[in-house]
Amino acid sequence: MRGTRNSGPETPVSSFDGSTVGAKPGDPIVRLLESMRPELLRFAHWLARDRAIAEDIVQEALLRAWRSRDALKDQTAARAWLLTIVRREHARLYERKRLELVPLEDGIEHECLPSRAGPDSELDSLRGAILKLPLEYREPLIMQVLGGFSTAEIAQELSLSSTAVLTRLFRARNKLRTMYGLTPAPDDAGSEAVL
Amino acid sequence: MSHQQARLLIGGDPHSVPPELAEHLASCPECTQFQREMVALDGNIRRALEQRPAGAAAPVMSTANVIPIMGARARRNKQTTSWPGWALAASVVFAAFATLAIWGLRPTDTLAHDVVIHVQGEPKSWAAAGQISPDTLNGIMRKAGVWLDTRSEKVTYAQSCRFRGHDVPHLVVSTSRGPVTVLVLRHEKVKARESFHEDGMSGVITPAPHGSIAVLAQGNENVDEVAGQVQQALRWLPDSH
Repeated sequence: MRGTRNSGPETPVSSFDGSTVGAKPGDPIVRLLESMRPELLRFAHWLARDRAIAEDIVQEALLRAWRSRDALKDQTAARAWLLTIVRREHARLYERKRLELVPLEDGIEHECLPSRAGPDSELDSLRGAILKLPLEYREPLIMQVLGGFSTAEIAQELSLSSTAVLTRLFRARNKLRTMYGLTPAPDDAGSEAVL
Repeated sequence: MSHQQARLLIGGDPHSVPPELAEHLASCPECTQFQREMVALDGNIRRALEQRPAGAAAPVMSTANVIPIMGARARRNKQTTSWPGWALAASVVFAAFATLAIWGLRPTDTLAHDVVIHVQGEPKSWAAAGQISPDTLNGIMRKAGVWLDTRSEKVTYAQSCRFRGHDVPHLVVSTSRGPVTVLVLRHEKVKARESFHEDGMSGVITPAPHGSIAVLAQGNENVDEVAGQVQQALRWLPDSH
């Protein structure tokens, strides 16, 4: 992803207090958050697989972004900055809710998987398959394809080596190949350090 | 490089071909085929992810709905106020009128937004420097019922993309002011020219004899001139789509 990196969005926000925020509708940062919200929501939804959770994630992320808005030095890097905040917020939520996980089939929001006949049904099936990917594969895939992050950036964000990220992306796509009747490539990676 | 290493690189990023992979592909038809399949699959993955998940929140209509201070969690935590019924009803009516007014004034906002989202979904398209063969370009354009009268070397990226249920040509054209993205939206009619600025992109959607054309550039470039040139260069084939 091109653009200058900004400082990490790490300002802690323990709880929300709307009265102390005082955002003004005309502020450039507010306009920026406004314009980015749908995209952030889509990104969060693919990560969380649940609309309500995605909305909470984005809400927290926007609050976090607002609080740490001074860290955004370069507006052209705002998209990557905000997507990173959303991803981290999702990771925090995932950590917090680890013990509340439900079986996979129950956790996937079925409204994401409309069953339609016609040209879009193939894409619907693919969406379903993506949603069923384990988070460790789905997350880098969404970051790369939807977020436009490079392998190195994903590796840095996920605290993995670039090879490990490539392996996860390879496995994610390899799993999705099968639904097109394509033979999965042999996966002898074993560990994530192949190259 | 072994087949396994090549396939790992391809599966990791089908669009990236570092020199060592290129060297392997030049002498390995199996891995070349694998790469073709993965590029095609990746296009579908991109299109699958582009769609906003069903049931997502409606597009933002006012700043008050967006800024963090109006968070869902905040609303949940807020104490319920004991307004009289008439005041509540008046608020609802006012909000409904305000919403309708905003949408009435911004008829193609959703289309512009969807165009931006689509282009953002293919971030590497801006940097594409490849040569598009005239046959490939014509094939993509013909699929959408148009023909582009231009030198194909100006087109650095050409894909037939799924957009709002239709295959649309997604081109990046090299201009003196940088790359410009063109989407030919045969099935999206607009009443008037609409310019927009969103997420670091500037663009315009203009009515066309069949549907409309979206032209976008990065930054604050004025794309009106390019949009005019695109309009001139497009030939609309008889409506069989």
